[in-house]
Amino acid sequence: MGDDSIKLPPGFRFSPTDEELIVHFLYRKASVLPCHPDVIPDLDLYPYDPWELNGKALQGGNQWYFFSRRTPNRVSANGYWKSVGVDEPIVSNDGKKVGMKKYLVFYIGETSAGIKTNWIMQEYRLSDCGSSSSRSSKRRGTTKLDSSKWVLCRVYERNNSDDDDNDDDGTELSCLDEVFLSLDDLDEISLPN
Amino acid sequence: MPEEMSLSVNGQSRVPPGFRFHPTEEELLHYYLRKKVAFEKIDLDVIRDVDLNKLEPWDIQEKCKIGSTPQNDWYFFSHKDKKYPTGTRTNRATAAGFWKATGRDKIIYSNFKRIGMRKTLVFYKGRAPHGQKSDWIMHEYRLDDHQTSSSSSSSSDPNGSNSMGEAAQEEGWVVCRVFKKKNHHKAIDSPKSTAIITDSKAQMFNPNNDGALDQILQYMGRSCKQENENSMNGINIHTFTRANTNNNQHNNLRLLRPTEIAINNGLYERFMQLPALESPTLTSLPNDRSQDCGSQACYPPLDDAQVLSDAGLRGSAVHLNPVYHSEPGLSDWTALDRLVASHLNCQTTETCKHLACFNEPSMAFSSPAPPPPDDQDLPLPQLRSSNSSTFNRSYQNTHDYNSEIDLWSFTRSSSSSSDPLCHVSNTSL
Repeated sequence: MGDDSIKLPPGFRFSPTDEELIVHFLYRKASVLPCHPDVIPDLDLYPYDPWELNGKALQGGNQWYFFSRRTPNRVSANGYWKSVGVDEPIVSNDGKKVGMKKYLVFYIGETSAGIKTNWIMQEYRLSDCGSSSSRSSKRRGTTKLDSSKWVLCRVYERNNSDDDDNDDDGTELSCLDEVFLSLDDLDEISLPN
Repeated sequence: MPEEMSLSVNGQSRVPPGFRFHPTEEELLHYYLRKKVAFEKIDLDVIRDVDLNKLEPWDIQEKCKIGSTPQNDWYFFSHKDKKYPTGTRTNRATAAGFWKATGRDKIIYSNFKRIGMRKTLVFYKGRAPHGQKSDWIMHEYRLDDHQTSSSSSSSSDPNGSNSMGEAAQEEGWVVCRVFKKKNHHKAIDSPKSTAIITDSKAQMFNPNNDGALDQILQYMGRSCKQENENSMNGINIHTFTRANTNNNQHNNLRLLRPTEIAINNGLYERFMQLPALESPTLTSLPNDRSQDCGSQACYPPLDDAQVLSDAGLRGSAVHLNPVYHSEPGLSDWTALDRLVASHLNCQTTETCKHLACFNEPSMAFSSPAPPPPDDQDLPLPQLRSSNSSTFNRSYQNTHDYNSEIDLWSFTRSSSSSSDPLCHVSNTSL
């Protein structure tokens, strides 16, 4: 007991897939299952502004993760979140729909009169009906899966000043690399190396 | 020094769910490669030694996997040797192909101090000069010469200043990251990919093109926004023309071919973020895939007059052929490099931030003792005690393992119905 804290060497960061967020973290939270590692804090409906999340939510790269209760009106001290676009289904590796992802943008100011910011929230929720069908066996008959109550939020600030790499983990070629790479095809234009 | 630990025990990953090895370039150089060069032990053996000449890129993922989490990139140390005793070039050939350097080396900074260089290489199948380009990309990081000598001089030759000079560049340990170039969408789990896929969100998430390319564009005296619009026009018009191709063999359709190919290959999606560049990007995009389309050959030389006569339709086509334009700025690579460098410099500040939470290099991964309460180094909170007692007990009833290791193993299999936790939840409720 009590041996569950870990420290990872440099280079490891919290960088979950959508599926992991849903299946590993949110599903367990909603089912009141022990979640290990229990790294994502529950901020309930505290009215934090997005820039206040640092130190309160789990940080992975430039993104912050926390659990929250589901609410139609997400309002913070200085503004509000407004949903945009269409919700996206989250599909697991084996093709099952496990949850949904909603996009929200943070506005500073009074509701409906706010100023749009670069803060984005992705709000993950479990599938409305699908979540209990496949995974929960009969043995869990008594487990009431409160899938509607909890959401998992990922918040980040869209960065305008960066180029296409938000956190430069280098697994994408930069625009220039692409240019250079393509140049290789143009009859081997040789660059002095 | 923590005792030796490995990332996977009995085939079970000890990397907790949600965590990935995504080192910054600074971490790769400053932490990992510096330790390697100085013969220091590296925790967890995260990065392995690899003989690049004996390993094909598609075998790297098995050889260099970290735990059992899915990976998009792989890391290893490689010892560079000279290809020829007399020359300075490096032999990067494997049985099936070879790695070929592309572009220019990028300088890696740490706190505005130059610490090393990054070389980008592409894997070609076959033998030079007839290799076939693949999607495998390698970033090869080396420490700056003075870095290497200064850090190793402490342990070895104190007079070992930079006597090796240029040769040192091509010899010694490097740390490499290998990944597959994404031609279509970004990986599905990438947070940005979804934004690109969905049209309605594409606008919202499109990064403003303030990056290096923008600078280049400005350098060439062209507004990026205008470029962007032009290219969008081209796409729309083009899609339209394509629909009519059957009845109407449009004479000038071929002018749009690069775009067409780009679209057909889904490449354009990837480049939605980029300004349509009057540089080789667009022209060469199709070349990228030309093996598949075979259209490279029939891509005709344009003459400007022809293009301009079609101006209405083909505002964008003009931009598709930088090769045949003699844009004076394009050939000035030195100026381009300066721009790039100035841009790349800013990125390094970013990486320092990540390091902050890892300021203690020694690590106690899964250490049996609970951390001191004031420990700030990414401690993962303990299990909720109420649950965990049930949890451990029931698990140990069925399996007689050492619990510490196995905590990872069954959290890993969270989605399977044979998950021991299902059982646990049953008993606890």
